[in-house]
Order: sequence, then C-alpha cells, then structure tokens
Amino acid sequence: MARGRYLKDRLYLYLPFFVGLLLLSLVILLLPYDTVYVKDRTYLSVFLVTIVLCVSVFFIGLLFDVMVWMEGKGLVGTPERRLLRTIARSIRFLFSRRLVRIVSVLYHDAIHLPRLKERSVTRWFMHFLILGGFVLTFLLDIVVTISLDLFKYQPMIDETGWAKIWIRDFAFDLTGLMILIGLCYYAVRRFIIKPKMLRTELPDAASILFLLTVVLGGFILEAVGIAGGIPGHAVNQEYSFFGYTLSLAMPSSWGAHYDQVWLIHGVISALFIAYIPFSKLFHMFATPIAIEAEQLLPSGVRAA
Amino acid sequence: MKKLDISKLDVLALMRYDACTRCGECTATCPTGGEAQDIELITPRGKILKLRELYKRQYGLKARIFGPAEISDDELRELTGRAYECTICGQCKAVCPASLDTIEMWENMREFLVSNGLAPLPAHEQIVKSIENYDNPWMQPRSQRSRWSKRIEKEVKLKDALKEKPDVLFFVGCTASYDPNIRDMATDTVRVLANANLEFGTLGNEESCCGSTLMRTGLVDSAKKMVLKNLELFEKAEPSTIVTSCAGCYKTIRQDYPKVGKVGPRVLHITQLVNELLDEKKLVLRNKVDYRVTYHDPCHLGRHNKLYDEPRRIIESIPGLKFVEMDRIREDSRCCGAGGGVKTAFPDLAEKISSMRVDDAEQTGAEALVTSCPFCYQSLKASIEAKGSKLKMMDLMELVRMSSSGTV
Repeated sequence: MARGRYLKDRLYLYLPFFVGLLLLSLVILLLPYDTVYVKDRTYLSVFLVTIVLCVSVFFIGLLFDVMVWMEGKGLVGTPERRLLRTIARSIRFLFSRRLVRIVSVLYHDAIHLPRLKERSVTRWFMHFLILGGFVLTFLLDIVVTISLDLFKYQPMIDETGWAKIWIRDFAFDLTGLMILIGLCYYAVRRFIIKPKMLRTELPDAASILFLLTVVLGGFILEAVGIAGGIPGHAVNQEYSFFGYTLSLAMPSSWGAHYDQVWLIHGVISALFIAYIPFSKLFHMFATPIAIEAEQLLPSGVRAA
Repeated sequence: MKKLDISKLDVLALMRYDACTRCGECTATCPTGGEAQDIELITPRGKILKLRELYKRQYGLKARIFGPAEISDDELRELTGRAYECTICGQCKAVCPASLDTIEMWENMREFLVSNGLAPLPAHEQIVKSIENYDNPWMQPRSQRSRWSKRIEKEVKLKDALKEKPDVLFFVGCTASYDPNIRDMATDTVRVLANANLEFGTLGNEESCCGSTLMRTGLVDSAKKMVLKNLELFEKAEPSTIVTSCAGCYKTIRQDYPKVGKVGPRVLHITQLVNELLDEKKLVLRNKVDYRVTYHDPCHLGRHNKLYDEPRRIIESIPGLKFVEMDRIREDSRCCGAGGGVKTAFPDLAEKISSMRVDDAEQTGAEALVTSCPFCYQSLKASIEAKGSKLKMMDLMELVRMSSSGTV
C-alpha cells in the first residue's frame, strides 16, 4: 500500500480521536465544581490535572488494545481503516433493528453470565455485585455530575434535598458496598482459600487490591467528612449508612485532613482508571465486545 | 529479531485473548493440561496468557512507543509444543464463564504458528505429506481407498456416486477406509443403510481426505485444497444428503466446508440419519442385543456439534440393550485423548487420557463401551487392550446392524 494512503488512513482515525480527547479534557477542566467539598482549590486543580492525564492514558491504552485486534485476520485495509469501519458498523448495528438482539446478547451472555452461575452461584452473585455496583456507580456519577454542575439542580445540592440524600448519600453507599462485598469475597478466595484453579500473579493481585483501595478509600473519605462535620456531610449522615458507621470509629479531628484524604482518593481513583486498559480488568470491555462480535458479525467476516 | 506476524490470528481470537478473565475454570477440566499433566502452559488459560504476552511485546502500546521487544526462540518453541498438546476437545469452551469459543481459538492459534514457520510439529509432518501426496494420512495409495468394500460387495450393492448419482452419499473417511481394525465401521454403516433400503453410494477411490487433520494442525491452506477437491466431487455426485460415520469428517464438512465453498446437500452424521430412518419406520430394530453398554460422547459430535441425544435415542431403541451412563457425559464428557494430533505427536499423553476414559466406563459395570467416532474407537480400544480390561469396544452402527439385520 502506498505510504501516502497509509498516512491518510491513520489521520482519519487519530485526528478525531485526539480532538475528542481534547474536548473531553476541556469539559473536565472547565466544569464549575461549585459543590466539591474540598476547601483548598489547589487540591482540586492537582486532581483535575491528574484525572485529565489518566483519562487520556485510559483512552490511548484502550485505542491501542483495540488496534491490536485490528491487526488480525478477517478484515481488510490498514488497522486504522479497519477500526473506523468497525466503529461505523457498530454504530449502524446500534441504530438498527438488531438493537433488541444486541441488548439481549449483552444481557444474557455478558452480564447475566449463565455459565458462571452453573459453575458456582456464590461466585456468580459476587461477580454480579462487583459488576452491578461498578455500572451503577458509573451511571450515578454521570447523573450527579450533570445535575450538579450543568443544571445546578437544587435538590441535588441542598443538604436536605431528596436527591442529595437518596442519590449522593444513600445510593453511592449502596453501590460502593455492593462492590466492596464482592471484592472482599474474591480477595478472601484468592489470597486465603486459594483454590487450585486460581493462579495469583502480579496483575491478578494488583487489580483486586487497586479496586479495593479505591472503594475503601471512598468510604474512608466519606467517614472522615462525617466525623469532621465537613459541609455536605454535616446533616442526615445516617443516609450514608456505611460511611456513617465507619465515622463512629473516627475522631472529629481527622476532619482537618479532609482535603488531603480527598486528593489521595481522587488520585488513586484516577490512576485506577488509567490502569484498566493495561490490566486484566480490560476484560470488562473485551468480554462483552467479544461475545457481541461473535453473535453479530457476519459469518463471512468471522471465517475469512 | 524474530517478528511475530499476527495477521493470521483471527480478529475474534484477538478479542478473546483479551476477554479471558484468568478465572482458571478451564484448567481443572482440561484433559491434557489439567487432568493428565497439571502443566499450566498447556491449559487454555496458560496458552492464552502466554501468546498474548508474546504478541503484546511486539504490538502493544509499549512496543509502539519504544519498539517491539525480543521474543526468544525457546519461548516460541515451548509455546508451539504446548499448543499442540491439546486435543481440541472443547471442554474449556463448555466451562468458560466468558463464553469464549476456545475451539476456534486453538485451531486459529495453530494456523498462526504454521504461518510463522513454527509448526507443524515434526511428528505431524509425515501425516501432512501423506495427505498432500496420497489424499489420506495413512501413506496408502489412492487405489486402496475402496478396498474395505470388497468384504461386502456380494451382500450390498454399493453405487458409484459419481456415475449413478444416488440420493445419499456415504462419505467413508480415511480411518474407516484404510485402518484394517476400523473397517468394520464402514461395512456396518453400509449394512445399516442397506437394511433401510436406502439408495446410496460412495465416491470410491475418488474420495479425498476431508481435511480435518490438516485443519486441526493449522495447515489451513493445504486443507482448503482438499476441501475444494471434495466440494467439486459433491457437486458432480449431486446427492441430496451426505452422511458420514466419522465424527471428524462430519464436523469438518458441516462446519468448515461452508467457510471455503457452498455445500449444497444437507450433511448428516450417521446417528442423525438413523434417527430419521427410525422415525420414518424405514429401519426397524427388531433383534434383541443382550449387552450392558455405556456410551462415550465423541468431542466432534458432542461439544462441537451438540449431538448428544441422537446416539442415546438409538441405543435406547435397541431391544435387549441395557444402557448405563458414565459420570461424565454430554458437555462434561471426558475426551478420548486422540484428537487434535495429540495421538500422533504425544502418544503417551493420548494413552494416559484414554485410560482415564476407560476407567470411567469400567466403573459403570458395562460390558461394552460404545462410541460413534473412528478416532475415539481406535484410541479407547487400544487403551482397553493395554489395560487388559474386559470391556468390549463397539461402534454404535455395529449394534444397529446387529439389531436391524435380517434383510441383509
């Protein structure tokens, strides 16, 4: 293939990708964050720079993971062009009559995981807690960010507002606890019970410990806020039932370190996001995609 | 520096390598890696992680920034050897919580190894040459292919499918055609078809190897030549049905041929056809056969094609037969150890696995171990003899022939 053509193919992919990344970074940096509880705005700035960098690493890692797939047999053209065509085809699928089938395949094989349920109901349930908790936390994050920072929705801002109490306090604690229970089960299974089928190497240990640190860190931050009476955590604390319980064991003086704890939790969470494409956790994207692709790709493409 | 070419790895396979969750569910039940040897690199998880690690060294983000890293010959040799210590039985596919189609992955992995000049293994080369030169893996001349039919030519009129164009084409397969110990599988099948008064024929000496061995060892391009050759013959013979008594041929013609060209006729395994004949009352199982039998699910029929009920229905239809199941059956059935080129390259390993399966059969108290695949038959029979077991190895069509005989 002529070099010029190849470069053109590459630009088609990378230009929109990096423009998209830049726009996302700008959105992250320019949101007002009026309701962030941290007092010292320097901490917020450090976090924002970190999260922009980490999100960029996440998307670049994701892109190059997918680019490796595009090196394979079954599609034609340069890997970049293959990816563009695949994205276009996926979008067509999403807006086609096959949407119902796509959703049902996704639910049945990638979320419901019947095979895992057959092997062990306990493991299936714990995986469901982690996956469900993760997805719900992500969705709640989007809802809260949009309603808080874009629409300034008062019930989400007011300390006594229904949305603040039930979504920001209760729902986040519930989804966090779901993930925590699942993770604790898997940590005990991997590090204490050690069934023969499990092989624990650095990527296995790192993924589970990283995620555990993020979730526990969130609860500790909340507990420090409640113990120290930080605005946003000052009233109706019992709705944050898990953080509140933890706070009972903390002295109120810890509230003085709230900003530092907030930054540490934020940075660890950001690093975790960056780590996903390079870890075994990438399976949370790859597995549903592989299942969907197997079910939905025309047999000609699969067999070529 | 050796640069791996991953352009022969399927896009879906590359996705699946990343989709593996490392849960290890596949390691416990893997007959070669887990049960027989307990070597991680042979298990599905071991192979996936190793191959992924190797190609990411040359294609991952780090490689794109800092350049591809070295892969030592030892690492490649080890992976290649281990990749072939797999019977492609599909047990891993059956248990994978991520629903990975590991059967396609292993076959594709071998294709990739061949394309990179790392395979086939020396032990497979002779078979490959034999297929390429003689159209069969047995180093036998083409003119001997239809010799098996001499035994029954006086009993049954076997039509020349290319000249007489019968409705049903019996694709005999290399093992039943050439292995003197297996030829009864072909003759019994023919007698069963004759007992049902079917109009059928074979391709005689024109039949080529179905290509299964080549495909399972990763020689896809050579296999395609075989496939095209047979497809041309199918077109000339114009049957409405192709029937095979070999589970390997059945899998290959049914699943792999359509990837190369159009297969006009419907493709059936003999167990499916016998079920149809029983339903239509064209075949009557009237004679009592006093045996206590157990049935071994061939991987190519069972896990690869989900044919679990058809053989069992036949067994249960034979008067006098007492049927007892082994503990591990259907999707959970243990492999016989012969598939995927393991028997050729690693005979001791194959024997170890088939011995475990014979143990399973012995535990049922059955007098006979029945199967419906010449490879399984060969492998299990050898193990029965090696162990000095009292079990009798039988092909399912032998039982059907015994029960349906009378007209022929």
